[in-house]
Amino acid sequence: MTLFDRVFGGNDYNYDRTVAAIDSAIAQYGEGESVSFPDTAYSLPCYYAVTGEKITNLGEMKAAMATIKAKMTRNNRLHDAFESGIASALCAEFLEALKYIHGATPYTEPELGHLSDAFVRNLGVPLVTGDIPGVAVIIGGADDPAETVALVKSYQSQGILVTLTGECIKQCADAGYKMGENVRVVPLGYEMQSVIHVVSVALRAALIFGNIQPGDFKALAKYTMDRVRAFVNAYKPLSDEIVSYGAGAICLGFPVVSNETENMFRVPKSLIQQLDTSKWNATSLEARDIKLKITNIDIPVAFATAFEGEIIRKGDMQVEVDGSRVDCFELVRTKEASEVEDHKITVEGPEIDEIPVGSKISLSYTVEVAGKAMQPDFESVMERKIHSWLNCIEGVMHTGQRDMIRVRISKADFEAGFKFKHIGEVLYAKVKSEFEAVVDKCQVHIVVDPEKNKELRAAANEVFDRRDARLASMTDESVDQFYTCIMCQAFSPSHVCIVTPERLGLCGAVSWLDAKATKELDPNGPCQIVPKTGCTDERLGAYESVNEAVSKYSHGALEKVTLYSLFQDPMTSCGCFECICGVEPVSMGVVITCREHAGMTPLGMTFSEMASMTGGGVQTPGFMGHGKHFIASKKFIAAEGGPGRIVWLPKMLKDQMRERLDATALELYGVENFTDMIADETICTEDPEALMNYLSEVGHPVLSMEPFDM
Amino acid sequence: MKDWAYLTTVEEMEAATNSLLETGKKVGADSWQQRVKNQTPHCGFGEAGTCCRICSMGPCRVTPKSPRGICGCDVHGIVGRNYLRFTAGGAATHSDHGREIMHTLYQTKEGGNYQVKDPEKLIRIAKEWGVETEGKDIYDLAHEIAEIGLLEYGKPFGTQRFLKRAPEHTQQLWHDAEIEPRAIDREVSQSMHMTHMGCSSLPEALIRQSLRAGLSDGWGGSMMGTEFSDVMFGTPKPVDTTANLGVMEKDNVNIVVHGHDPSLSEMIVYYANDPEMIAYAKSMGAKGITVSGVCCTSNEVAMRHGIPMAGNFLNQENVVLTGACEAIVVDVQCIFPALGPLSKCFHTKFITTSPIARMPDSEFIRFSAANAGENAKAIVKMAIENFKNRKPELVHIPDLKQNARVGYSVEAIKKVLDGVANSQVDEFGTTKPLIECVHSGVLRGAVAMVGCNNPKVRPDTAHIGLMKKLLENDIILIVSGCSAQAAAKAGLMDPEKAKEYCGAGLKRVCELAGIPPVLHMGSCVDISRMMILASDIAKDWGINISQVPVVGCAPEWMSEKAVSIGNYVVATGIETFLGVDPYTKGSEEVTALLQGEHGIKDWVEARFVVETDIDKLGDKMIECIEAKRAALGI
Repeated sequence: MTLFDRVFGGNDYNYDRTVAAIDSAIAQYGEGESVSFPDTAYSLPCYYAVTGEKITNLGEMKAAMATIKAKMTRNNRLHDAFESGIASALCAEFLEALKYIHGATPYTEPELGHLSDAFVRNLGVPLVTGDIPGVAVIIGGADDPAETVALVKSYQSQGILVTLTGECIKQCADAGYKMGENVRVVPLGYEMQSVIHVVSVALRAALIFGNIQPGDFKALAKYTMDRVRAFVNAYKPLSDEIVSYGAGAICLGFPVVSNETENMFRVPKSLIQQLDTSKWNATSLEARDIKLKITNIDIPVAFATAFEGEIIRKGDMQVEVDGSRVDCFELVRTKEASEVEDHKITVEGPEIDEIPVGSKISLSYTVEVAGKAMQPDFESVMERKIHSWLNCIEGVMHTGQRDMIRVRISKADFEAGFKFKHIGEVLYAKVKSEFEAVVDKCQVHIVVDPEKNKELRAAANEVFDRRDARLASMTDESVDQFYTCIMCQAFSPSHVCIVTPERLGLCGAVSWLDAKATKELDPNGPCQIVPKTGCTDERLGAYESVNEAVSKYSHGALEKVTLYSLFQDPMTSCGCFECICGVEPVSMGVVITCREHAGMTPLGMTFSEMASMTGGGVQTPGFMGHGKHFIASKKFIAAEGGPGRIVWLPKMLKDQMRERLDATALELYGVENFTDMIADETICTEDPEALMNYLSEVGHPVLSMEPFDM
Repeated sequence: MKDWAYLTTVEEMEAATNSLLETGKKVGADSWQQRVKNQTPHCGFGEAGTCCRICSMGPCRVTPKSPRGICGCDVHGIVGRNYLRFTAGGAATHSDHGREIMHTLYQTKEGGNYQVKDPEKLIRIAKEWGVETEGKDIYDLAHEIAEIGLLEYGKPFGTQRFLKRAPEHTQQLWHDAEIEPRAIDREVSQSMHMTHMGCSSLPEALIRQSLRAGLSDGWGGSMMGTEFSDVMFGTPKPVDTTANLGVMEKDNVNIVVHGHDPSLSEMIVYYANDPEMIAYAKSMGAKGITVSGVCCTSNEVAMRHGIPMAGNFLNQENVVLTGACEAIVVDVQCIFPALGPLSKCFHTKFITTSPIARMPDSEFIRFSAANAGENAKAIVKMAIENFKNRKPELVHIPDLKQNARVGYSVEAIKKVLDGVANSQVDEFGTTKPLIECVHSGVLRGAVAMVGCNNPKVRPDTAHIGLMKKLLENDIILIVSGCSAQAAAKAGLMDPEKAKEYCGAGLKRVCELAGIPPVLHMGSCVDISRMMILASDIAKDWGINISQVPVVGCAPEWMSEKAVSIGNYVVATGIETFLGVDPYTKGSEEVTALLQGEHGIKDWVEARFVVETDIDKLGDKMIECIEAKRAALGI
């Protein structure tokens, strides 16, 4: 049997059972019964991405089978095998969608099934930065479960997102291996067809970040091939069904590595036979051209971005650094070169093995750096990265910043020989590798002494205060240049962010200072200077220089943007924005929701649905993606009246932003406790009338503002 | 259906030619288009191969009424003899080109006009030939190898050294069929001898010798020509260039090189880049110097230096008709004597350089390896000084130009394949990744498309039309000679765009390997590269060459060399498809031998297919490739 015959066979099998499943569902519920996946604005995302058509009910799904059938041509050409692979994948999506029919919740832990739009959007930044260097799609399981677990771990420790389908889920679960979105090991389902849920993620990434038009399959496949670094590892035996999915995967540019030899073929860089499964990791990375950011850090546990979301529960904790109870802090300081001894790591006070298990301790770490190109402005840039660096340590959890940090070190780490000094090793290695252009020398001083820390903390707070004062004085007016940020262009080729002191990048990860530092670190990199010249409208924040930069760096896709308007040439989004705001027409205000909030908003749209209105570098007046901190900026839709327009926020976001937002509102409108005047999901969700009632009740400032000039 | 919009069409090329012919009319120039009209209809006896003028009793022409010549030779003997003589002419020509290269190799020296640029390859061949290389000066080695190579032309005993490169099975077939070529000159001489009045008239014997003479070319003279050109001028690797008449630059001194032997053109290219010469050109009012090429000399310098390709065989008059050609410098083979009178209609200098190709109305600068530098400099200078003689009212360079990536020697192809191999699984330096593509069906097979243009076929339509059809069917093309230039002119070697014309399989291969779907392997002598590639594939795959889903094709061939090539390609086990009949249709027996199920196919496992309906020719190739696949069960 030829390779194509196997693909065709798998496709036929899937087609037949999908037809049967749809018929049986129709028999039970009728053609009008709705079909959908939860938490997505993209209907049945694969079918929608491939064909451009949304399927809402069983009748439409049945009709769509004709579209699928049309792909099932049977010439002995790769084109036909590719089309059949895609057809087979679409059948799998239908079969999976049918599981969710009539409000069913078909998946229980560890299986996750369908993944939400928020999951996709969360991947944006780390995929772009290479923090998630790739996506491993593991199918089936090794004869020896330990081998499967070792493979999963190997990818996880490289920061690669792993999805599991079939036996490997059980093997990992039996081994007690931690799985879940937060550790980037994502079990999809036991059935082979559940692999479609990761395909769905890849295709939504193309729609969200790449502004690929649904139905433009050529562009879709090019996007996934060029930009989504996924690959498949499939354990033998491979059924025709799996082979047909493999054809679909290869069509999208994802190579398949397998140890199957029976009735199997080889295609360079696409279908690779690797009988030595211990080499699957290396084989796959090479096949998909994945380059890892290598940071060799001398610590006894793993270090990878996959551990960033890991949670250390109280019972698993060896010690806790608790800034809310005792004096703790983290600080980066610039020193003279003569004052810094490179790679000197000191621990003042007891080491971890001298401290009783379960203690809450006072601990501080000060990173002292020196370098010819170092600027004190970069201190906070580095400092903010400490959170992510320490979280990448397996078995260490870090939250907070400055003197409000909490660090938990797990018992497992303690047993593995992890010491406080290893925190220093990590900080040293990361500062030196990520800031090598500005840091020539770096030393870390760790203090585990309550008395000493009390004193040091006070000194640190003086530093923080000085920085805050500088930041507060740093406004769009006080600087003479802005920056571009096109870090996302690997993913979203026509989007450009313009970063100003009062408007950080929409992903929330790039402030003006970050951009400045990035420019210093990589002079030809993603952040380039935009001189603040040629202002044509101060209110809108319209600058000729900004338009020039946008046009140049979007390669002509975009001609102009304004910095402060929601309606007049609003800034575009890549797709990985933290928040999105949209016009609420009844109150003439704006509704903002964030990625973490899955629920409905008064616009009748969820985050995903609102997000799907923009992204991919497209201008959609009335909708705009942005970073969280922009909400409290005086420049937030300043052209339309500023943050006083905000009428609804998810409660969680309100709580995060309250302090700064209240301060801004007080300054701008003379209103106290502005955040309380903003509605949230506890007050109203979908009903604009309930929203209006509330706004009138609290006397929200929007009511006295002019209607939008739409 | 594919979007072929990026291509330069044959119609566009013809329109450009017609505009040039208008210029020609103004100055009273003759053209091949006109001469074709004058020569039509062609002699039917000649076309069928049934005219014999080997002795002076004739000429004898065979008809149903007079079925035998005066000596009694029947039509099969006459057609067979003509076929063998045709082959011998081609084998002699290619091989003599190879011999010239060996003589040049003999004159290489450190710091000289000619040097060894790929010593690694020289050492590799020396080892293959059993020559001690250890501790030897590279030039001593070069001279030693040159002498051994030259002896391949006349050695009294033994067969060609390069035969050992073929798979053992192929060598055995040759041995059993008694067609292993001995000394090259001997095969040519023997062909002449066999066809002399009163010698062979048995078709089988004549065709056997045709295959043997062909093999002495492909696995002898041509292969030496290719291999040692690489040694001296560098083994080609992928390089970007441009193609079609628009490569000539209006404001520059245009020097067009034409012919086959790279020894001359290499020197011209060198001196055209000389700052002193460029300054001289500027002093004469030009902006610079542009060297472009026609025919296989063009292929040689394009493959090694990215020198743009102005056109192929039937474009040679066009370059003069642009009125912007300061000099057309020729070496040997495929040069129209018409260039002499034509150049007189313009300011163009027609410069002949080889005692082998002497023509009226040309300026002869005798080119020799010893004085190559001086000769080339004198030629470049002559062209520069001719710039001022241009007649501005006659200058018209059609705006046709396409990008092309060329330079796919066997070594370069393997390097490309290494790029898609996986170091965790695969060994490097093999053809296995290509085999995997074919075995899995991603590629259906390969076609080696070669050969000339021939006014009997609307120029380039067969090349381009067939290529399009094959690309759509996931069949990769390896090309050489004027076929390669047809592809380049059309845009089928564009590394970015051409893949869009392909089926999904070939397109993916192009994307992953970073290649155009039509791989330029060089000049017509370089078809020997294709033989090596086919051999390596068969060896790496573990099957016979005749089983590999690959066929040869010369849809617009015209020269004796092409027939010689056809013989060695078929004899190597590769089915060969011709779009022009090789003057054999007058004999059923010879036709059956060459094209039948039980002729040469019984000896070498392959045969010729002649089909003048070009679309059908394409269908037949695809059928043949699919049949080979089916036989392999893939």
